[in-house]
Amino acid sequence: MLKIENLHAEIDGKEILKGLSLEVNAGEVHAIMGPNGAGKSTLGYVLGGRPGYEVTAGSVTFDGVDLLELEAHERAAAGVFLGFQYPVEIPGVSNVQFLREALNAQRATRDEKPLSGGEFLKLARGQADLLGMDYDMLKRPVNVGFSGGEKKRNEMVQMGIVNPKFAILDETDSGLDIDALRVVGDGINRIMRAPDKAVLLITHYQRLLDYVEPDFVHVLADGKIVRSGGKDLAKQLESEGYVGIAA
Amino acid sequence: MLLDLPSTREESWRWGDPAAIAAAAGLPRGAALDADAWFLDLPGARALFVDGVLDQGRSDLRHVTMTAIHGGEHALGRRTTGNGWSIRVEANAGVELLQIVHIATGGENQLPAEIVLADGARASVVETYVGAGWSNRSTRMALGKGAKLTRAVRLLQAGGFVSLRDEVEIGAEASLIVTVLGAGDAGTRIDGAITVTGDDAFAEYGGALLTRNDQRQECAVSVRHAALNGQSKQIWRAVAADKSTASLAARVEVARDAQKTDGVQSLRGLLLQRTATVNLKPELEIFADDVKCAHGATVGELDQRALFYMQSRGIPHAKAQALLTRAFVGDAFVQIADETVREAFVADADAWLERAL
Repeated sequence: MLKIENLHAEIDGKEILKGLSLEVNAGEVHAIMGPNGAGKSTLGYVLGGRPGYEVTAGSVTFDGVDLLELEAHERAAAGVFLGFQYPVEIPGVSNVQFLREALNAQRATRDEKPLSGGEFLKLARGQADLLGMDYDMLKRPVNVGFSGGEKKRNEMVQMGIVNPKFAILDETDSGLDIDALRVVGDGINRIMRAPDKAVLLITHYQRLLDYVEPDFVHVLADGKIVRSGGKDLAKQLESEGYVGIAA
Repeated sequence: MLLDLPSTREESWRWGDPAAIAAAAGLPRGAALDADAWFLDLPGARALFVDGVLDQGRSDLRHVTMTAIHGGEHALGRRTTGNGWSIRVEANAGVELLQIVHIATGGENQLPAEIVLADGARASVVETYVGAGWSNRSTRMALGKGAKLTRAVRLLQAGGFVSLRDEVEIGAEASLIVTVLGAGDAGTRIDGAITVTGDDAFAEYGGALLTRNDQRQECAVSVRHAALNGQSKQIWRAVAADKSTASLAARVEVARDAQKTDGVQSLRGLLLQRTATVNLKPELEIFADDVKCAHGATVGELDQRALFYMQSRGIPHAKAQALLTRAFVGDAFVQIADETVREAFVADADAWLERAL
C-alpha cells in the first residue's frame, strides 16, 4: 500500500530524514518509535504534505501513485489520514461544518456525490457516539477549548467520519489518561483494523501498543530506520531504552 | 473635478481618498441595475432610490416620508442637504422593517435621511448600495429614552465610491446597533459621530471592510460617552487582498461625568497577501476615572497551521482560506439579530471571497 524508498527530507535547509525506507502492506499496523529529534513527526508531515518540508531525494508511492506529487488535500482524498500530535484550534468554524466540508471535498476530488446534511449528521453522530464524544462538542468550534484528551478523541471521530485507507497517527497517545487511551485505542482498532487498511503509529511509548497491537515495530534514529522487528521490540525498547538499540 | 473635501493632512482624513471620490463623481452615467435582485425577502416597507432620487412606482413607503433635511456641518454631510427620507416613530410604537436599495448609475448623487424615535419607539432599517458612481449619504439618528434602532448597511457597489456620514444621539436606556459591510469594489468612507447623551444607554457600531485589487475602504467613527453607565462596542474586521488598503479608525471618548462607562473596541485586520495594507487606529480619550474600556488591535495573516490542518482533511487550499476568512469576518456580524439579514451579510462576504481568492 505504502512504499517509502530512501527518503531524504529537510526543513529550513536542515536535513531531518536521511534515507528512510519502509513498506507497509494492506492489513498491517506498523509502529515507529524513536528518541526525540529522530524525525518521527517530520515523517508524518512529509507524508501528509505539509508546506516547508522539502523532499530532496527518494520516493513515496501510495497504491502505486506518487504521493509526493499530490497536494495535501489530494492525499486526503486518496485515502491518507494524518492524525496530529497537536490538533489545531480553529475559532469560528464548527466541527460539523469543518468535517462536512472535508468529507464532501474528498468526495468531490474522487468524483463522488456529496452527502446531504441529514446523511452527514447521521454519520457524525454515529462516530461521536462510538468514541464517547458528546454530540454537542461537534457543534463547537474545531478544538477550541477542548482538553488534550478531547482533541485526540476528536481526531479519532474525524478519522471515523472520513474513513481513510491509511492512517498516520502522530503521538495520538500523548496527553491521554488511561481511560481515554483505551477509547482511542479501541477507535483505531475499530476504524482501521481491516484487511484493506493500514496504520502507521508514531509513538514514544509502549503503552498505546497494549491496545493497538502492531505487526511490526521500527526504530527511527537520526533520520533512518535503524532496526525493525515484531511487537516484542517495543517491549525491549521500553525496558532497555533507545541508547543501546539505536546505536 | 474639484470637490471641497478636507485634505488628507487632517488627522480624521488621514487614510481618506478624496481623489477616488472625485473620480467616482466623474463616472459616466449608464443603465440602472435591476432593483428586485437586491431587496431581501422580508416583509415591510421598501424604498428604491436611483441616483439619490426616489422611484415612487417601485417603492412602498408606508411609514416613511420624504421631506427637507439638513445634512449637518460635516464636509460630507452638508453636501446632502435637500429632500431626503425620514422615519419618525411615536412614543412606544414600533414600525415595520424598512429596506432601502440605492442604485447608482454614474456621476454623483446625494441624499440625506433622518430617523427619529420617540421614547420607547422601535425601528429597523436595511440599506443596500449597488451600481457605480459617488453615492453620498448623511443619516441623522435620534433615539429617545428606551428607544431601539437597528440598522444594517451593505455596501456592494461594483465601482465608484460610497460615503456615509452618520450622526447619532442616544438617549437614556436606548439601544443602537449599526452593522456595515463593505464587500463591493467601490471605495468607501464610513464616517460616524455617535453621542451617548442619556444614562444606561447602549451603542454598537461596527462591521467588516473587505478590499481587493487596488481598492481602498475606511471607517472613521467616534463614540462619545457623555452620560452615566453607558455601554459601547466597536467591533471591526478588515480583510485586504492584492494591493488594496483597508483602514479602521475607531475612537471612544469618555467625558468627565460619564462614570461607569463600559467600552469595548476590537479592531482586527487580516492580510490575504503581503502586498495589501491594513491600517488600524484605536483611540481612547478618557476623562472619567471609573470606567472600563477594553481595546484590541491586531493585524495578521491566516494561520498556516490551521490551513494545513484543513488541507490534511481534504479541503483544498482556496476553500480552506475561504472558511478561515469567513470565520474571521463573522465576528462582526454576530450582533445582527435578524437571521435573513445576517445570512445576506454572510452571503455577500462569501461572494466577495469567491472573487478575491
